[in-house]
Amino acid sequence: MTSYSNRGFFNPAYHDSETLEIDKRSSSKPHHANPYAGEDPYRNWGARTELTDQTPRYDAEQQRTAHRGGWQEESWRGGEGIPMGPVSTHQHDLHYSTFQIALDSQYDGSPSIPLPSSMSGNMTMRWRGLAMRRMFPNTDPAHVAFTEDAIRNQMENEEQDRVNELVAMSTRERIRAIRELPMSFEEKKHIRNQVQAFSRKPHHFTIFEGCSENVSLSMRRCGYSVRSTRQTLELWHGIMKEIGGKFGSSVLSYFVFLKWLLMFNIFSFLINFGFITIPLLVYNHTPNVPPNVNFRGLEILTGAGYFSYTVMYYGSYSNETLVGLVEYDMQLAYFFTIAVYMVLCGIALIFSMASSFKKNYTLADLASNSAWQLLCSWDFSVTNERAVKQRTNNLSVQLKESLSEKGQRELLTLSEKVMHFGVYLGSWLLSTGLAVGCGASIYYLCQYEQQRATDAASWSLLQEAETLLVPFVVSLVNLVIPLFYSLFNKFEHYSSQRRQIYALVLRNVILRMSILGVLCYYWMNVLPDNFSCWESMVGQSLYRLVIFDFFFLMLGSFFGEFLSNVIGTRLLPGLGVPEFDVARNVLELIYAQTLAWIGIYFSPLLPAIQILKFFILFYLKKVSLTQNCQPPRRSGRAAQMQTIFIFLLFFPFFVGALSMVAYTAWRLTPSEQCGPFRGLNNTFEVVGEWIDGLREIPGSEWAVWIYQHVIRSEIFYFLLTLFILVIIYIFWQVSQGRKELIVLLRQQIVNEGKDKNFLRDKLQNLQKSHPEKHPKQKKQKGLTKQRSDGHPSGGQSNSNAMVQALLARQQLEEEEEGRSIEGVPVPSDISTSSALIQAMMARQRAETHSEGLYQTPGEHVSSSSTAARQRVDGRERSTDEYGSSAIRTRVRAEAEDLDYLPASSIMMQAMDARQQAEEEERFQWVPAPPQNLAPSGSSALIQAMLARQQAQNEFDDGY
Amino acid sequence: MGNKQTIFTAQQLDAYQDCTFFTRKEILRLFYRYRDLAPQLVPLDYTNHPDVKLPYELIGSMPELKDNPFRQRIAEVFSEDGEGNMTLNDFLDMFSVLSEMAPRDLKAYYAFKIYDFNNDDFICKSDLEKTLNKLTRNELTEDEVRMVCEKVIDEADLDNDGRLSLEDFQHMIVRAPDFLSTFHIRI
Repeated sequence: MTSYSNRGFFNPAYHDSETLEIDKRSSSKPHHANPYAGEDPYRNWGARTELTDQTPRYDAEQQRTAHRGGWQEESWRGGEGIPMGPVSTHQHDLHYSTFQIALDSQYDGSPSIPLPSSMSGNMTMRWRGLAMRRMFPNTDPAHVAFTEDAIRNQMENEEQDRVNELVAMSTRERIRAIRELPMSFEEKKHIRNQVQAFSRKPHHFTIFEGCSENVSLSMRRCGYSVRSTRQTLELWHGIMKEIGGKFGSSVLSYFVFLKWLLMFNIFSFLINFGFITIPLLVYNHTPNVPPNVNFRGLEILTGAGYFSYTVMYYGSYSNETLVGLVEYDMQLAYFFTIAVYMVLCGIALIFSMASSFKKNYTLADLASNSAWQLLCSWDFSVTNERAVKQRTNNLSVQLKESLSEKGQRELLTLSEKVMHFGVYLGSWLLSTGLAVGCGASIYYLCQYEQQRATDAASWSLLQEAETLLVPFVVSLVNLVIPLFYSLFNKFEHYSSQRRQIYALVLRNVILRMSILGVLCYYWMNVLPDNFSCWESMVGQSLYRLVIFDFFFLMLGSFFGEFLSNVIGTRLLPGLGVPEFDVARNVLELIYAQTLAWIGIYFSPLLPAIQILKFFILFYLKKVSLTQNCQPPRRSGRAAQMQTIFIFLLFFPFFVGALSMVAYTAWRLTPSEQCGPFRGLNNTFEVVGEWIDGLREIPGSEWAVWIYQHVIRSEIFYFLLTLFILVIIYIFWQVSQGRKELIVLLRQQIVNEGKDKNFLRDKLQNLQKSHPEKHPKQKKQKGLTKQRSDGHPSGGQSNSNAMVQALLARQQLEEEEEGRSIEGVPVPSDISTSSALIQAMMARQRAETHSEGLYQTPGEHVSSSSTAARQRVDGRERSTDEYGSSAIRTRVRAEAEDLDYLPASSIMMQAMDARQQAEEEERFQWVPAPPQNLAPSGSSALIQAMLARQQAQNEFDDGY
Repeated sequence: MGNKQTIFTAQQLDAYQDCTFFTRKEILRLFYRYRDLAPQLVPLDYTNHPDVKLPYELIGSMPELKDNPFRQRIAEVFSEDGEGNMTLNDFLDMFSVLSEMAPRDLKAYYAFKIYDFNNDDFICKSDLEKTLNKLTRNELTEDEVRMVCEKVIDEADLDNDGRLSLEDFQHMIVRAPDFLSTFHIRI
């Protein structure tokens, strides 16, 4: 990261930049190629205006206390790749041998000062202050004066580094990076303006670049308006919000899934309709219906009769080449439309599945359950008062459960375990048996139906109605058997809710797969032998299944939700209002979608029905949900469930449908009398014929060659498979390696924590065994002693005194280094903490006096705080008399002030002081300094030593 | 459309679109939401950057926030003054971070700030207790609160310093995929 160091300064473009020019001007700095050179005027100025420089510290302190969020440079840099300044500044300053300042800037967590430069940019200090504080968590307000310049530099560097980094990016990335900066809008805008100004001012401005700038701007605006339009087209925004507000995001995920499937279907409908149906309709728009077939109404349910002669099914598509404006080969169009649609579906599914896995599964961890429940599980989208109340209740119940869980788990005896295992086994056997039984019974039912059906052009009403038997039974099975499964589930004792849901889902999937498998087998093997136009028959069966599935979904929500609501509220209040069963409902959707996929070959317009079905279903479910259901009691890990569902949709269901369609196209003989592929041995032959036709066209030899040697050659697929397997293996190994690395890194974090604790203990012991140490310099010792002695109270304030003593000594040392830096004056009101700063400043000044450095008191800052007043007194007194009495007064005042502050801030100051003290000593190559300690101050010392430890580490890194 | 143009200049809209996750339409929608909170205070013309701040009482009364146990914290974290009084920019900022488009790290950063009640850059035990009491409406006993907090720190504190730093928090968030969908307010 230090590689970014001060690029802004060495970059000539930086000095040309208009915006940055403003910065430099307003911070009263001339051009400076050397950041350190720029510090001098400022420091002198600060020293001159001794009193007015107090105010900015108030301000800074307030900023600090107001926005003490955490902003970690390191971790965020990893995420965004935006380098930030402080470390690089440090490096740079080392170069210029401004060691002292650099160290201060590095380790002194001084609050940031609202500089004129930042004011000019209309920047607030929220973020930058945070950045500083995060880097140097131990804030010592007393050191403000010493480090202002360094900080100012840091901030400028930081900003410039960021700006440089952003300028280097492409426009798109830059906008993304700016958006993702964790700052307020004003700050982002400031950065953005800087970046724009920077990038708009190239070294040699040409008309072309101006144009490209304009073009990129208009492109961006165009992109925004496209996004805007897309949002306008977004369906059901308001309803989604309402559902999310009332039921939380887990229930909402069902509706999101439904919407996603709806989009899938709209897409497939558009493709099929556009490439298959419309050309046919344009060519020949009257359906080829025999004269004795009329529309009777029952077709809507059965899909047979009149419908079988319309473009609804495979059978009525022509195999001719349509001659119009252009020649349109229906065979090819039909084949490629379906093929391309299936491939696109597969790709879309794989991508969404992969991204979902990446997001939700790779790092998901069950161990941190309480932490998750407390900090991550609150659903901010819930806006309904009742829902909020219920959630809070549920959460407290869950937390109580998880507290008592530990005891329960150990109580399981062997016999209980055996019993549980028996129950699992029994219910698995039972549910698998049920699934197989259902499959078998449906197969026999189909055979029975096939014996009764005839291959006539028109059926009687009764015959037509009889075809409804199979879809009715199938849908009934789909409705009823899952209820049994839920019942089994009640008897089983799963250790976690997740397992329970997974078991339930798995059983339902097995049931549906067995039913669909049986049906497909029947369609593939029995129907072709008995019907002249068997593809249309399959299409009709699928149509009926889709329609009946829809009715049963409605019935399901009536029985499942409405009735149990009525029972729960009126008859058996013990049952309570039902919850919306996301898992069951999503499985129903997946099943419905599978039907549509299988049907796409046999009935190209089935997606239209599906669209209508999902559309109605959305409103139906919404009404049923809001009327009948209550928000879920358990806030499960919805995102992972959703990944599972997408996976299920892909793996058994989509892959099943795809292989069924592919089998049909490769293996089965299309019917002789109807459909686009009549007269071919199998559907795929259409490609071969097309290639044969291509041979005669000159210039298309390459296509023929590809077909002969790539598409039709086994060796190609063999090599391809091999290649993919190798790649998969490599990636597998890489991911295994990463997993190990993650484990190691985690271990490392834990170890570092242990190291820290160990060192802390050791320091504590060390300090106990050497309670009395001697200061390394006589003068310092004297001062320290004075302060310690002069302290009026013991206990807490004693440690305060120690802290103050440390601070004072630190400052003393810095004085000896001949550095006196003062702050920038900005008026501000006064809070307790700022009063403290004042007090410390005053003390510091007093010490400066005792060192023989004379400073003229300037104008007094009006202050309501007693501490501040004392400070003024103290300073005045200290101008009159050198020595200890003034200091004692100061220490007392500070101790009093400190009592109002939380202990943590005292600790922070102690650490800070200690750190700096250590830095000083390191610099002077003197062994560790001794401390004069009261016993009650020990914890402060530990903190300080710890801080020193850190400081050492960092310091060593600095080399 | 005509009067919409006069609320913001094209440059302002560009800046908003570049710096937040919203489109022009959403920005305008949010502006109207903001304005509806106090029509007499918020002018319809924002081209000259009027200095308008809505007090927390108004912001917290939005239907999106009014039942949220953390509403005050949210407003404090996102407001420039740290007291929950929001300018339009703060308002847009807030919903931008809470929108669907915001990346995980950004959300995690602000969530951390929301849970860090005492602004000390760490989620310590007192913060957790506050969070817990807000989430459960003080239904747990003191012992239970203490146990839960200990458990949380035990689980999530990687470096064993007895409190959660932003790194700890982010680490936890990475392993909790639901966070992205739950730290989300639709507008």
